[in-house]
Amino acid sequence: MRKKCILIGMVFFLISSLGMVQLAQGVNFKGKTIKWIIPFQVGGGTDIWARVYAPFLHKYLAGNPRIVIKNVPGGGSIIGGNYFHTKVKPNGLGVFGSSGSTSFPYLLGVSAVKYDFARYHIVFGSPTGGVAYIKPGMGVKSAKDLKGFKTKLNYASQGATSLDIIPMLAFDMLGLDVKAIFGYKGRGAGRVAFEQGEVRIDYQTSTAYIRNVRPLVKQGAAIPLMTWGVLDEKGNVVRDPLEPDLPCFPEAYEMVHGKGPSGPAWEVWKTFFVAGFGVQKGMWLPEKTPQKIVKAYRTSAAKVIADPEFKEVIKKSLGGYPQMVGEEARAAFNQVLSGAEGSKPWMLKWLKERFDVTVK
Amino acid sequence: MFLCAGVLVGLAIGILPGLGGIVGMTILLPLIYGMDPHAAFALLIGMVAVIPTSDTFPSVMMGIPGSSGSQATIMDGYPLARKGEAARALGAAFTASLTGGLFGAAVLTGVIPIARPIVLSFGSPELFMLALLGLSMVGVLSGNQPIKGVLAAGIGLMIGAMGDAPALPEYRYYFGIGYLMDGIPLVIVGLGLFAFPEIIDLLIKGKAISEAATLGKGWMQGVKDAISHKLIILRCSVIGVIVGFLPGLGGTVVDWIAYGHVIQTTRDRGNFGKGDIRGVLAPESSNNAKEGGGLIPTLLFGIPGSGSMAVFLGGLLILGIQPGPGMVTENVDLLYTAIWSLALANVFGAGLCILLSKPISRLTVIPFNYIAPFMILIITLASYQATRSWGDLIALLVMGVLGWVMKQYGWPRPAALIGYVLSRNVETYLFISVQRYGISWITRSGVIILALIIIVSLALGIFYQSKKARKPWLVKDGAK
Repeated sequence: MRKKCILIGMVFFLISSLGMVQLAQGVNFKGKTIKWIIPFQVGGGTDIWARVYAPFLHKYLAGNPRIVIKNVPGGGSIIGGNYFHTKVKPNGLGVFGSSGSTSFPYLLGVSAVKYDFARYHIVFGSPTGGVAYIKPGMGVKSAKDLKGFKTKLNYASQGATSLDIIPMLAFDMLGLDVKAIFGYKGRGAGRVAFEQGEVRIDYQTSTAYIRNVRPLVKQGAAIPLMTWGVLDEKGNVVRDPLEPDLPCFPEAYEMVHGKGPSGPAWEVWKTFFVAGFGVQKGMWLPEKTPQKIVKAYRTSAAKVIADPEFKEVIKKSLGGYPQMVGEEARAAFNQVLSGAEGSKPWMLKWLKERFDVTVK
Repeated sequence: MFLCAGVLVGLAIGILPGLGGIVGMTILLPLIYGMDPHAAFALLIGMVAVIPTSDTFPSVMMGIPGSSGSQATIMDGYPLARKGEAARALGAAFTASLTGGLFGAAVLTGVIPIARPIVLSFGSPELFMLALLGLSMVGVLSGNQPIKGVLAAGIGLMIGAMGDAPALPEYRYYFGIGYLMDGIPLVIVGLGLFAFPEIIDLLIKGKAISEAATLGKGWMQGVKDAISHKLIILRCSVIGVIVGFLPGLGGTVVDWIAYGHVIQTTRDRGNFGKGDIRGVLAPESSNNAKEGGGLIPTLLFGIPGSGSMAVFLGGLLILGIQPGPGMVTENVDLLYTAIWSLALANVFGAGLCILLSKPISRLTVIPFNYIAPFMILIITLASYQATRSWGDLIALLVMGVLGWVMKQYGWPRPAALIGYVLSRNVETYLFISVQRYGISWITRSGVIILALIIIVSLALGIFYQSKKARKPWLVKDGAK
């Protein structure tokens, strides 16, 4: 209930301070409260990500504004995204935190989506990685052995249009025979299903992999295959620094097919990969935000990322991938935006043919 | 120190109807940032551990679920309060809570080395059967009106089916309303079905909650009751631990399963629903024990056993602790902090509650007109916490009217609630089972064992039912 009082106070504050930022000399948030809209529940991955960043942004934004995280969950983050799109004024006091689950419905053209990333200004972006692994005893010791591997496999999935698009499309491109079983409540449930033997191939985000699957690998209960990779400065998918000994997906593809990936499937995979992993989470300012406010945010975010204390913190709680700020984040996310138009029809067709799923 | 703070927050949240562990976690989560992991652990676990202790107050005193774990306590606790025996019910409940909580902590200690294989032996088909077992309790809870019970459970299942489908990218029954895309939250269904009708009826009568002018037997009597029924408490604690232990089933049904169990295994059940002390002991011991069980999948697998555990998991990540198999090897000290916090919090919580039970039970003799506005305010606020949108209040009103109508016409509301709570689980696990195993999932040994348990429990229910020649137990709703 205390939170609610703060919220009410905040709303009043917002109303009373509308437009004042633009009038102020330079950009200074002294005495202001910034509302950071997170379209997920408290305690979810994106909420934690925002709560890790918030105290540091408070420290480095001019005037040390209070930063309040407002959770607007619902509809798999569509509700929160639409809320940001329709309700938040471009005065620097309202920002949005997106995740792959926010970007995917946008890419798929889900009709309920009103938000449009092409119009917003990204402040910084955070990548994440994923590691795929398989049960032993089927003759696969590493990604090399996937060539011509035809054993039927099951994969525990949250849903056809979730982030599981990345692993499922990757398995397809490698020529594996994987059946998706839908309805699992997240990657944690998928991992338990793998341990139970309900499914025989799975992936986890890198941090969860290191913690939960590496012990299984040591016991000989799981064999790591590949990582999805990470984006380098030029926008190529390269090896994951958290698991540098494993090939990334393009390398695994080359092992199986003898040449690097190309063609429409690869373009689509990459577009979704950047949205789901490469720039999995991002902080956004609304359309028409004055350039100097955008700049102030990006400068502060750069300072946050350079803070040694922050580096320690994200190593522990966010996996420690290098964060992207300003232009770098924009350039990376542009791969999503530029690929969006082209990949949508291909993806919708694939979802329909592969899973008989129609996106509404 | 932090443990005490956690306990106090937990007690307060438990007393406020409708607020449960999820809200508590949400309030505390921003505070733990940068805290020492041990202190933060004590704070969070202290909070979670005592919610099922203090949530007994509103359940017994007002017939309003204090949190989702104490819904079944209403069935007998509230009639006891109306007889003027609130203090006795509370005393019994707290003793049961304490025992259940300590049992949970003890099991948590003992089971850590063998927990993984046990959890792993429950695949989706087994979880589906467990959810069915929960649904079969509907039969017990609807007394001599089985048809109404089944229909009410059906209504519950339908309400539960609203919102996003568990396995397909589809939204059901949401009528284009954004609020309904995630379905109706549990808090609102619980408060609407139980609290709202109770408040209206009490207001219509214009009396105090307690029909007897005096408060009757004190809490010492309750403690004695608890001791003389120690086997019930033990059995229900075991049920609580097992249900909490199994990821995915969720702790919200544990009280009903325990309640159904105690009725099924009792011969003289004429008094259930009218103020049988055993009906208070069963759910209260199981819902505290469940927290100990619920920590196991959360800490060892990183998958939450209940809603509040899901937020707790988020808290761990903020502290930089990745739950998982490593907990047993690298963070053993934290694990034991968890166990100790759990046990100590239960002792503190139950002690404080017993001290409070005497003065608080006096509330039941105050004319309800004075309490009603406050109660309405509280349940409205609690509902608004669910998603903090206007839809919450509208949904509360709709559910409240539904609950009132059901009460007036003698439809068993617990059956509807169980249907609602389990609909997700039943659907998801059946869906997964069929996708994965085809029809052969039925032949798994775990499934067959659970099927036998369901059949036996149903048969026992019917057997006692006909033998008892239609005693109207448990249909206080219909006794108008």
